[in-house]
Amino acid sequence: MSQPQASIPTQPRAKQLRACLLCSIVQTPADFRKHGCPNCEEIMQMKGYPDRISVCTTTYFEGMIAMIDPEHSWVARWQRTAKYVRGMYAVRVRGRVPDDVEAELESRGIKYRPRDQTDMD
Amino acid sequence: MSDLEDDARVTNDLLDDEEEDFDEPPKKDKRRAYADEEEDEEDEDEDEEDDEEDEDAGAARGKKRPRRHKRPAVNRFLDVEAEVDEDEEEEEEDEEYGKDGFIAGAEGEEDDADVHRRAADHARLDRRREELNDQDLAQIAADVSERYRRTAVRYSGDMNEIPQRLLMPSVEDANLWQVRVKPGKERDLVFSLMRKSVDREFSNRPLNILSAFQRDSLPGMIYVEARSAKQVSDACAGLVGIYPSRGIILVPIEEMASLLQIKKQEITVTPGSWVRIKRPPRYQGDLAQVMDITENGEEVGLKFIPRIDLNPKDEATVDGKKRKKPAGQTSFSMRPPQRFFNYEEVVKVYGRKAVSKRNQVYVFQNDTYKDGFIEKDLRLTALQLENVNPTLDEITQFTRGQDGDGDVNVDLSIIAEASRKAAILVLQPGDHVEVFEGEQSGVHGSVHSIEQDIVTIQPVGVEFDGQRMQVPARSVRKRFKPGDHVKVMAGQNADETGLVVSVIDNVVTFLSDMSMQEVSVFSKDLREAAEVGTGTNTVGNFELHDLVQLDLQTVGVIFKTERDSFRVLDQNGQVRLVKPHQISMRRDSRRAIATDSDGHELRPGDNVKEIDGEGRKGRVLHTHQSFFAFLYNAESPENRGVFVTRARSLASQAPKGNLLNLGGTDLSKMNPLTAAPTGGMVGSAIGRGPRDRNIGETVCVVKGPQKGYVGIVKDTNGSLARVELLTGNKMISIDKSKIFRRLPTGDLEPLDTPRGGRGSFTRGGSGRGRGRGGQPFSSHGDMGPPPTAGFGGPPSRTPNPYNDGKTPGWTRTPNPYAGDGGKTPAAWSTAARTPNPYADGGKTPAWNTSSRTPNPYASGGGSTGGWGGATPGRPTSSWGGATPGRNNDSTWGSASRSWEGESSDNWDAAPTTAPTPAATSWSAPTPAAAAWSAPTPAAGVWSAPTPGVTGAWDARTPAFTPAGGFGAPTPAPNAAWGREGGFGQVEEEGPPEKWLLSRDLSDPKGIRVRIRSSSGSNWQHGNYDDQHGIILNVLNTFNESFDSTAQVKFLQPSDETTRESPSVPVQFLAPVEPDKVGEKVVIIHGNRSGQQGVVRDLEGDKVTISIDGTHVMDEIRRDFLAKIVPAED
Repeated sequence: MSQPQASIPTQPRAKQLRACLLCSIVQTPADFRKHGCPNCEEIMQMKGYPDRISVCTTTYFEGMIAMIDPEHSWVARWQRTAKYVRGMYAVRVRGRVPDDVEAELESRGIKYRPRDQTDMD
Repeated sequence: MSDLEDDARVTNDLLDDEEEDFDEPPKKDKRRAYADEEEDEEDEDEDEEDDEEDEDAGAARGKKRPRRHKRPAVNRFLDVEAEVDEDEEEEEEDEEYGKDGFIAGAEGEEDDADVHRRAADHARLDRRREELNDQDLAQIAADVSERYRRTAVRYSGDMNEIPQRLLMPSVEDANLWQVRVKPGKERDLVFSLMRKSVDREFSNRPLNILSAFQRDSLPGMIYVEARSAKQVSDACAGLVGIYPSRGIILVPIEEMASLLQIKKQEITVTPGSWVRIKRPPRYQGDLAQVMDITENGEEVGLKFIPRIDLNPKDEATVDGKKRKKPAGQTSFSMRPPQRFFNYEEVVKVYGRKAVSKRNQVYVFQNDTYKDGFIEKDLRLTALQLENVNPTLDEITQFTRGQDGDGDVNVDLSIIAEASRKAAILVLQPGDHVEVFEGEQSGVHGSVHSIEQDIVTIQPVGVEFDGQRMQVPARSVRKRFKPGDHVKVMAGQNADETGLVVSVIDNVVTFLSDMSMQEVSVFSKDLREAAEVGTGTNTVGNFELHDLVQLDLQTVGVIFKTERDSFRVLDQNGQVRLVKPHQISMRRDSRRAIATDSDGHELRPGDNVKEIDGEGRKGRVLHTHQSFFAFLYNAESPENRGVFVTRARSLASQAPKGNLLNLGGTDLSKMNPLTAAPTGGMVGSAIGRGPRDRNIGETVCVVKGPQKGYVGIVKDTNGSLARVELLTGNKMISIDKSKIFRRLPTGDLEPLDTPRGGRGSFTRGGSGRGRGRGGQPFSSHGDMGPPPTAGFGGPPSRTPNPYNDGKTPGWTRTPNPYAGDGGKTPAAWSTAARTPNPYADGGKTPAWNTSSRTPNPYASGGGSTGGWGGATPGRPTSSWGGATPGRNNDSTWGSASRSWEGESSDNWDAAPTTAPTPAATSWSAPTPAAAAWSAPTPAAGVWSAPTPGVTGAWDARTPAFTPAGGFGAPTPAPNAAWGREGGFGQVEEEGPPEKWLLSRDLSDPKGIRVRIRSSSGSNWQHGNYDDQHGIILNVLNTFNESFDSTAQVKFLQPSDETTRESPSVPVQFLAPVEPDKVGEKVVIIHGNRSGQQGVVRDLEGDKVTISIDGTHVMDEIRRDFLAKIVPAED
C-alpha cells in the first residue's frame, strides 16, 4: 500500500501550520516552500515562492484529519481528498484561492469548491 | 501512473451515470462499451455533453503523454514491481491508445523493454537486481525525491463536480468511531496516529485505520475511521492521552457526515464592525473598528485609540534601539492610558526624529497614526469578534476623536450598527417596533411573529387595515415614546425602570424611578413595564446601605447595587466598584460610639446636619471608628444620597431627651478614663464582632457522649460552642446548653448565669451589689494579676459603694484594702465598724519590713505615692474622675489629709495590736497566698463564715488573691462578715473616723460627742477642740467630696459659733466614752453596733453593758461606746 505521502509536520501545535486553500493539506511553511503542495502544485506553483505560499495557503483552518488510507476512506471521499496523497488535512479551510488560480481552474473546466464548507450541495 | 487515468475515468463515470458505484472503477474498454450503450439510449443533449467530456478527457490524455515520456527510468525501478499484471493490461491499453493515434509512437525504448520482459521475466529481475546494486543509495534518494517532487500530477479538480450529497457514507464504508481523549490533546493525537501508521506501515502489525480526525468544536474526542472497534483500540494502544477505557463508540452512519460539516457560527468581519483586541497585551480589551480585511482573511486592518507611553524609561529615549525593550516590559506591568495620537506630545517625549509624516499620516515606531487613531493590521486570531458589546462611552470616545475635539454629538449610525445585530435577538412577539430603514421606513406596529431574520409586523395605521408585513429584523427597532414606562433588561443599568423622556433613534433616555436621574440606553435593552423597579437592593448577603469592610483599612457604605456588584463609598469619600467577594465582611455599627460636635452620642438613624463645610443634612447610616459618619440624604444627588463626613462636625437636628440628663448616670461616658476602655471595647466589637464572653471559659460537658469532659471554650457560633477538651487535645463543637461553666472551685453553673468573678463589667446594671462587686475586678483584669495591681484595685472600687452608699453588703466588705481605701472621709464611720484584721495586719511592721512588693501599703506607710501606684485601678466614676495626680495632692481635700493622719496613727498603733494571730500570719515571710491560707486562727476565722468565700479564697493564685478573693463575695457573704462579727472579736481597730455615718446608728440623735482633730486638721482651727456636745441630727451626703456633717448642740457654748448648734463635719466628732455605771450608751462599732444599752460595769478597757431590749450582758470595748443622752428637749 505504498502511497505517495506528504511530509507530516512534526509540531502539531505549531502556529505555523498552513493549509492549502485548494486541497486542504496541512504542512509547515517550510515544507510548502521546499516541496510545494503535494497535490496541487501543478496549478498552485508555490514551491520556492513564499509570497505565493502566503496567498495560496492559510493558517485559518479548523479540524485536523490524519488521512492514512485516502483511497478507501469515506472521510477522504467526503472531503474530496481521496485521490490525494496521504498526510494531514484540514477539515475546513477558510478563504479562497487567488483569482488567477480560480481563473485557471475555470479555464480547465474544473469546478472550484472552496474548502470553507460554504456550499455543501 | 494509472492513477491519472482512473481519476479521469471515475469522474466521467460518475457524471455519466450517477447510479454507478464508483467504488469499482470499470475497465477502460468496458466503460467504452457502456458509454456506447448509453449514447444510444440517451437523448442528444446528453450525447453532446458526453462528447465534450470525452474530448476533454482525450485532450487531457494528450497533454499527459509527453510527460509520461520522461518517467520510464523511474518507472522501471520503483513503480512497476508490485503491479506486474496490471502493467501488462496497461501496456495493452497503451498500445490501444497508440493505435488510436493519440500517441506519436515515441515509446520505442519502452517497447523494447516490454519485449524483453515478456521474453524472460527472470532475466529482467536479475537485471533489476544488478541495477539496484549498482546504483548507489544517493541516486535512489534522488530518485525518490524526484518522484515525490514531481509536478507532473495534473490538478484535475478530482471529484469536484460530484454533489456533496452523493458522497454520503454507505453501509459499505468503514465506520467512524468516537474515542475519548484528554481535552486539549486532540490534535496531537491525530498527528500521533498519523505518524504511528506511517511507522508501522511495513511492520508486521500495521495500523488498519483509514483516517482519524478531530474538530475544534468537539473537545475531548477524536474520530477514527476503521472497519472495527478492535482496529481502533489497536491503533490507540500505547498513545498517551487516549482513554479507550471510556469506550470506543460507533458513530451512526447518518451522523458521520455531520461530524465533518460542523461549522462554527461564522462571524464575518466586515469593514466598520467592532472587535476587541486580544493581543498585543498593551491593547488587550480595547475596542477597535475594522477598516479592511486582507485577501485571505487572516489579517484585519484596524483603527483604534493608541496607548503611547508618554513617560518612557529614561534610556528608552536615548536611542531607538533600546526603546523596544522597555516598551515591551512596561506594556505588561502598566500600560499607558488610551490617548489620541498627538504629534506635539509625542515629539516632545521621543524627539522629532521618531515621528515621520507622510501625507496625512504619522509614522511612529513602525505604526501609522491617522486622525489620532492608530491604524494597524492584526491577525484575526488576535481579535475577539464575539460579544464585543461596545459601550456608549467607548463609541462616544471613538466618534469624539473623529470629530476632532469634544463634540459630544454621538454618531448614532455607528452605535446602531454595533447594536443592530443583537437587536434581532431581543425582539419578542408583541413588542412595539418601528421600521427605520427600507421602503417601509416609518411604519410602526407590533411584532406578530418572528421567523429567523424576518419579522412579521402588524402595522398600526388606517391604511394598513388588517394587513401584516414582513420586514427584515435588522430593519426594525423597538419603539418607545416619551411617557412610556420602561424597564432595562440588560446592561449595566439592568432592572432600572423609569419614564421615557426622549427617544433619539434607538437611544432612549428615561428618568429613573430610583435615582431620579436621566439614563440613556439602547432601545433594544428596554422593555415596556408597568412595575416600578426597585432594582435589587440585595446582592449576596449585602444590602444597600450596609457598612462593609473592604480591606484592613477601608470600610464603606454600599450606595448602589448593580447586577452583581456594588458601588461603595469608602470612608475617604472615594467610590469603588466592588464585587461581593471583595467584601471581607459586613460590619455592624449599631454599637459604635461616636459623638457629634456637642458631645452627644451619634446613633444610626439620627438626623444631623454638618456644622461646617457644606452644611449637608442627612440621616446617620453608620459611624466608623468614632470619627467618620456615613450619612444619607435622599435629596442629595451624588452617590445616591450617601456621603461621608466627620462625626465631630455634625450637630443633631433634634434634641435628644435621653442625653440631656448630663448629670445622670451617663457621667461615666463623659469621663475620658472610662470612655477609653468603653470605646476600646466597642471598637473591638466592630472589628471582630461582639466577642462572646464565654470564650476562654473553662467548661464542663454535662450532657452527651463527652459528658464529664472539661475544656476551654475557643469559639462560639450561635448556640454552638467550640470547646477544646483538656484531654486528648481535641476540639469539639457542642451545643452551649450541654456545657456548664466550671468554676475554679469545681462547681458548675450554666453558662448563661452571669459570672461572679472577673471581667463581668458589662453586667454593671444587672444588680447593684453585684455590679459593684464586679467592677473592681474589671480593673483587675485591666491591670493584670500582679499583687501590686491587686492591691491597687481594691481602693479603686471603694469609692463607688461609698458614693451612693446603698449597698450595705459592700460597705462591710471584709477587705482590708477596702478598709484602707475606705479611709476616705465618708467611709470612715462605716468601715470603722468593720474591724478589719487585714487593714491591721497589713500595717504590721512585719509586712512593711518584708516589703516584698511595691505594694501600696508599703509605700502608703511612707508616702502617698502608694496611692499613685494604685490609681490605675481606679477608673470608677465615683472618684469623680480623679486623676492620679489628684489623688496624691491636697486637692483631694480633707480626705487626703485625713488619710495621712489616720494612717500614721494606725501605723503607730499597729505594733501594739500586732501580736494577734492574723498579724502573725501576715508577717510570715512566705508568699502572700501561703500566709492567707495558712491555718492560723485568723485564717480559720476567715474561712469560717461563708463557704463561698472560702472557695474563692483557696483557689486564687497568689497574685490574684487579694483581688479575686474579695471580688468573689456576693452581697450575702459580705453581709455575713459584718453580722457574724467574726472579725469583730479579733478586731483591734478602733471605730472609724466617720463612725457617725454608720448605717447601724439608726438614730444618732442624743449621742454625746466631743470635737477633736481629725487626720491632722482641725475644725475651726481647733478652737473648739474637746468641747462636748450632743448630736441633734446627722446629714450624710454620701459623697466624698462633700463633708457629711452633724448638727451639734454644744453643752457649754462659748461663743456665737457654738451657741448656734453648728454643723460639724462628722470626722471631727469623737464619741464620748461612758465613765460611770448606769450611763446610757450606744455601741458604735463592732458586731453589736447600733444597739443601745446601759453600763453595768466599767473595768479598764472593757465595759459591761446590758443591751436594751434583751437580757444580754456583753463586754464591749470602751472606745466602741458612746454616751447617749436620752431624748429630751
